[in-house]
Amino acid sequence: MIRIIGVGSPFGADRVGWLAIDHLQGCQLEDCELIKLDRPGSGLLNYLRDADWVVLIDALKSTGRAGDVAQISRDKLAQCQALTSCHGFGVAEALALADQLGELPRQVLLLGIHVGDDQERPPALDVVSLEQQIQALLASG
Amino acid sequence: MAEHRDIHINVPVLTRVEGEGALELDIVGGEIERLNLRIFEPPRLFEKFIEGYERNQVIDMVARICGICPVAYQMSAVQAFERLSGFTPDPWVQGMRRVMYCGEWIQSHALHVHLLAAPDFLGFESAIAMAADYPDAVRRGLQLQTLGNDLIAMFGGRSVHPVGVRVGGFYRAPDSSAVAMMVKRLQAALPEAEALIGWTAGLDFPDDDQSFISVALSDPDEYAIGQGRLISGQGLDIDICYFDSHFKEIQSPHSTALHCELEGRPYLTGPLARLNLNFHQLPAEVRRLMEGCGIRFPSHNMFHSIVARAIELYFAISEAIRLLQDYQSPAQSYREVEAVEGDAFGCTEAPRGILWHRYDVDDAGIVRYARIVPPTSQNQGRIEEDIALSLQKFGLDQTDEKLRLRAEQVIRNYDPCISCATHFLKLNVNRG
Repeated sequence: MIRIIGVGSPFGADRVGWLAIDHLQGCQLEDCELIKLDRPGSGLLNYLRDADWVVLIDALKSTGRAGDVAQISRDKLAQCQALTSCHGFGVAEALALADQLGELPRQVLLLGIHVGDDQERPPALDVVSLEQQIQALLASG
Repeated sequence: MAEHRDIHINVPVLTRVEGEGALELDIVGGEIERLNLRIFEPPRLFEKFIEGYERNQVIDMVARICGICPVAYQMSAVQAFERLSGFTPDPWVQGMRRVMYCGEWIQSHALHVHLLAAPDFLGFESAIAMAADYPDAVRRGLQLQTLGNDLIAMFGGRSVHPVGVRVGGFYRAPDSSAVAMMVKRLQAALPEAEALIGWTAGLDFPDDDQSFISVALSDPDEYAIGQGRLISGQGLDIDICYFDSHFKEIQSPHSTALHCELEGRPYLTGPLARLNLNFHQLPAEVRRLMEGCGIRFPSHNMFHSIVARAIELYFAISEAIRLLQDYQSPAQSYREVEAVEGDAFGCTEAPRGILWHRYDVDDAGIVRYARIVPPTSQNQGRIEEDIALSLQKFGLDQTDEKLRLRAEQVIRNYDPCISCATHFLKLNVNRG
């Protein structure tokens, strides 16, 4: 069982993680649990604790083309960890805390969807790339 | 004669607080010459852009001011609009609003105690670092925070910026089955919350009693959360509509948040102020735990705030159980409330203290003018006063690093929410 979690909110480009889950729901993936979470903060740990494999899909603000799907390594994500406030408790901090508590799933894959410059609306998702990366993961499992 | 170093401490970004701020401290000739809690997060102008919106839209909009205490914003707003219309919510609505508010106290206090304040007392730079040595404490904090969030979501659809509260009641009532499951979870969490009181009371506290004014809401019938008169330890006892006659907001050049004074003096609002003024109204079981924890309340040691939060967290869980255990779905979850033109006043006890709202509303229920006074801006003056007193007692000859850490800990005792107030910390110590 692979748990695929779209992290986001109902607002603007931040919705793109949820849109990815909406798309995957139509793909009839086998042995997958699809979940949408609204800005979970440290609550993300509740969804990591009992899972073996987890894929996290979140909006990514970087230099890539809007809509492109990129795999992000844990090391790279850790560089983004800049906890200065409790509102700032994001995916990187939740994974670091889960790691300290020994509650990380055996496998965690992070997929970031580039949002580009327009943060008012979600980008057109590269669904082919998204599906290919998920299918490759399923095949490897 | 001892030589004094001239010290300049600059904490450019204060961590483990909500929002963005800094501290600048200049010590010259062994005396504090300048101490500024600089709130530089830009003003968010919320009050201006809710003008022109209808009452129920405003209730959802003000929830966006804060991701940690959105319920408080909603409850102060809805209270204001209902008071203006002379509407008193029925007992079911009053009870369930109190339960929803308990959810916010549980999640906010659990977050602050475990993830923001505890690392200071235990010598860690963050909760993530603390988790290696205190995994069970961190897990307890996360579980209690989740419980509070789920309690909010039961009424508001989601815990971050919930949407369930409306003028006259709630848009919908929770299902009895969901409430029954929640009561079981709350009951299961009580022993954890009881253990938390002992755990916080066992921390190592500096001896730092100070003289300060506590301000809180007071309700003759219960430990005030969602309504009451404004009282202080010095005899203030007023209806919330007379706030401006006694409290004055002032601009300070180093802060984008307004300071607030009571009769020209800084004051404390929040859990320790509430406990100091209203502890006699806690249920007997909570009072027994408070009196047996080894810390004496009322307390004028701000480091005891973490214990006050733990006591309130236990209280909030037990209060939610009391109000939910005989839950019955109402025939109607709200009543229509006719709009009335005039000045609307609301004030409730947010996790961090009193949250005062004033709206000028027209006869269609459209807000023409709004003013919001959040707890952190009210506490700013007290925080600056506290840092100066605490550092003097700690010893200004301490190293810059120790002074910085102590100053940050003092600030975090207040659980400041700068995002709310700017609508917070970098430390600069200058020993010149």
